[in-house]
Amino acid sequence: MRILLLFLLKEARDVRTNKQVWPVYLLLPPIALALPIFFVTVAPWLVSDKMEKGDAAMQYLARLAQEAEEFAGMPLDEAMSRLFLRNLVAFFLIMPLGISSVSAAFSIVGEKQQRTLEPILATPITDAQFMLGKMLASSVPAVVVTWATALLTTIVVDFISLNKYRAALLPDRFWAMGVVVLGPLLAVGAVLATMRVSARMTDPQAANQFAGLVILPAFLVSLAIFGKVLTLSFAALCIACLLMLSLDLFLFRLNLRKFQREEILTRWK
Amino acid sequence: MISVHQLSRSFNGARVVEELSFEIPEGKLFTLLGPNGAGKTTTVRMLMGLISPTSGTAKVAGFDLGKDGKTKSALRSACGLLTEAPGFYERMSAWENLLFFGRLYGIAESALAGRVEHYLRFMELWDRRNGSVGTFSKGMKQKLAIIRAIFHEPKVIFMDEPTAGLDPEASLAIREMILRLKGEGRTIVVCTHNLGEAERLADIVGILKRRLLVFDSLRHLQTGAGASVPVEIEVVEPLGDYRAMMFELPFVSRVEQSGAIFQIEVMGGQENIPRLVRTLAERGVKIMAVRPRMQSLENIYLKCVRWGENGVQDQ
Repeated sequence: MRILLLFLLKEARDVRTNKQVWPVYLLLPPIALALPIFFVTVAPWLVSDKMEKGDAAMQYLARLAQEAEEFAGMPLDEAMSRLFLRNLVAFFLIMPLGISSVSAAFSIVGEKQQRTLEPILATPITDAQFMLGKMLASSVPAVVVTWATALLTTIVVDFISLNKYRAALLPDRFWAMGVVVLGPLLAVGAVLATMRVSARMTDPQAANQFAGLVILPAFLVSLAIFGKVLTLSFAALCIACLLMLSLDLFLFRLNLRKFQREEILTRWK
Repeated sequence: MISVHQLSRSFNGARVVEELSFEIPEGKLFTLLGPNGAGKTTTVRMLMGLISPTSGTAKVAGFDLGKDGKTKSALRSACGLLTEAPGFYERMSAWENLLFFGRLYGIAESALAGRVEHYLRFMELWDRRNGSVGTFSKGMKQKLAIIRAIFHEPKVIFMDEPTAGLDPEASLAIREMILRLKGEGRTIVVCTHNLGEAERLADIVGILKRRLLVFDSLRHLQTGAGASVPVEIEVVEPLGDYRAMMFELPFVSRVEQSGAIFQIEVMGGQENIPRLVRTLAERGVKIMAVRPRMQSLENIYLKCVRWGENGVQDQ
């Protein structure tokens, strides 16, 4: 535990001093905060305006909102606001995924560039401690930033929605499950995948591109395919969480078996 | 303290280190010499438990290589490693770096700060303790890396090229530091290309080129236990073809004459010198003086490595 905390604190310090990782920390939280506020503010106007103009996409969304049992009896604009917010939880999944994978790539590349891997591996820490330390050090800051942004979003959105609908729209159970459970699981998965790729590559810089070119697009494609069912079926969301947990456990075991000091020392040139 | 038996390591089927066997007693300083790619770093990594040998066994500081994870951790606790490149977190201060590594080594919190202070003062880096390591000179980083290798009080210290790239003053400071560590009774293994440095530091010398070509005490090597022993013989008056006479002996490999003085290389060890002298005397050569000459380590090294290349002494 002491070793894990040690890596976590060092990595948190690295984030503060490494300007290269700042963009993901500075870009994603404001977007994730702004979009729900924007939608909850303009939803009534947006819905009525588009519906009047016969906008097909808006009519499709309105039908989804009206058909959802949870939104039965609600005014259309409130139901639509709730549906929009539920869909926007995607940003609170992208945020931990993006931040953690970029952090993991920089963290490992940083070790390589500063030639600190061999001195670390020469200490008595075990492979599992090293891997777990790196994993938590890259995923925990991303999760903390995501949760902090989600909390702030909830406060601001509820402040607006209490005035407008006399109801707090957040957190609903989809939102909570996404932010509290699925987001961290995605963060851990992204870190483990980045670490695995880093270990296999002879050029660690390439690992940095893995996050941007493979993990995020893969996530977005999955979201496009399964997004609708995940926002309308809580059971489907729970199953997605369980699948992600299984994937994380599989990747952790795979990394533990493969990600060994011998491989790092002899393959990373 | 270090006992190695038939240790080998292959990468992708190619043997990088082959059948090393040697013993280093406690408190001795062993310099491992060899050209680039000779297998020095691989040997150190195996002895530190960082990579596994393909075959063979070794015991370092009482721990067997290739055992379970706990034994490997214990082995690494008992050893210190100065890597070829002194890798540090450049944006962190010297103090923070040492605290981080000290905690990884499991140094008790109550002792850590005091120990870091002690070694920073010892290495004359105390005034720069709060400076980020990225601003340090190479010599300062190397001193810091030495602290990292020793501040958990290891029994065995491995140093890979400790003075590589340093200016003469910094090199001298590092050498003095290594000798101080030796004075404390630690067993030290130094991998180096710097033969002068090895000559100044070593108790025992090994010359590695995939195989261990030479392993002996420095003194023994220089006085003739190596491949050839240089000796100088001065005669009263060079009357005949003494060179030809000497070359008739199978253990004489080289003779150079300068007036009454002959520089001779005798193969097969020191015991052949009396045989040479006796043979010459029996043939009527009036010998005035016999002076064995100390060989330079450079001479020994170059001979061994060249012979290793030609397969003459590949055994």
